[in-house]
Amino acid sequence: MTAKNQPWLIILLIAAQILCAAYFLLDALSDGQELGMPAVTSIHFHFELVATLSLILAIVIEGRLLMALLRRKAHLERQVSLAAGAFQDIIEDHFQRWGLTPSEQDVANFTIKGFSIPEIAELRGSAEGTVKSHLNGIYRKAGVSGRGALLSLLIEDLIVSPDPAPSAG
Amino acid sequence: MTEHRIWDPFVRVFHWALVGLFAANALYTNPEKTPHEYIGYTIAALVGLRMIWGLIGSRHARFSDFLPSMSGVLQQITDIATGRHRIHLGHTPLGALMIYNLIATIAGICLTGWMMTTNTFWGVDWVEKTHEVLVTWAEISVVLHVVAVIWESRRTGINLPRAMVTGVKRIPEGHSTDA
Repeated sequence: MTAKNQPWLIILLIAAQILCAAYFLLDALSDGQELGMPAVTSIHFHFELVATLSLILAIVIEGRLLMALLRRKAHLERQVSLAAGAFQDIIEDHFQRWGLTPSEQDVANFTIKGFSIPEIAELRGSAEGTVKSHLNGIYRKAGVSGRGALLSLLIEDLIVSPDPAPSAG
Repeated sequence: MTEHRIWDPFVRVFHWALVGLFAANALYTNPEKTPHEYIGYTIAALVGLRMIWGLIGSRHARFSDFLPSMSGVLQQITDIATGRHRIHLGHTPLGALMIYNLIATIAGICLTGWMMTTNTFWGVDWVEKTHEVLVTWAEISVVLHVVAVIWESRRTGINLPRAMVTGVKRIPEGHSTDA
């Protein structure tokens, strides 16, 4: 998928849509001001408002998709092999299920890749204590005792599962 | 907590003077009257000085310190997506885009505003329209700027408005900076 490597298209699209939404919102607001109370009964006004609000909703959803895409890209710069992509799918799948925060997902990814706590702190520009508390959160949510158990859990899925790429995402 | 002196006095005075004067002209003064014009000329002079300062000023005030960078923007959005906290001592890449946007927009407002006082362009419709559209755009940009500053302050744990007052950024312990 080209979108995987080119978030620019999505970023520009979101920027353009934000401009449109701002324009429509200002337009709807000034219409509402002009019409005054009759605006409440004007079908046209309500259509405009609903259209604008759905555009804003679409922007929020796209924003979330972009964030997920960038998180994945941050740990899978080049999709060197099918296996790497499949393993990343499994990892992300588990992160979703455990309800890890974006920061925890990032730390978990680094941990799985074998980085030490000081190294992760350096890479993320945060204090070691912060990384440790993220790790505690990860282990608690995953229900494992430590890094080794976390890795086993993920690899087990890769080996046992008959279809290693369930989401084909 | 480490402290870094980032914004020189000129940058800070420029920033807050612009805030006050722009707000005055956009919200209070009568566009038909002379105070509106004098405030406009003052803003034009400030923006002109800022551009010169961007070439010869202190380190983080110079344009060369915050050139538009697409890869920098992508890096910053990735940091937001992954909850990373790499600190930019000067303008962040996204912040830099906003600075250029604001400077260009306000320069355009000054130019069209002055044109309306000349014999050639007095009463010309597109000049007035452009002036008004640019003002609306500047107002949207200002709102976006303020929201982004609050967001970034919360995200990075650095009080950015305070830094624009005192000139000093206080970086929480353990954060790596772009030096």
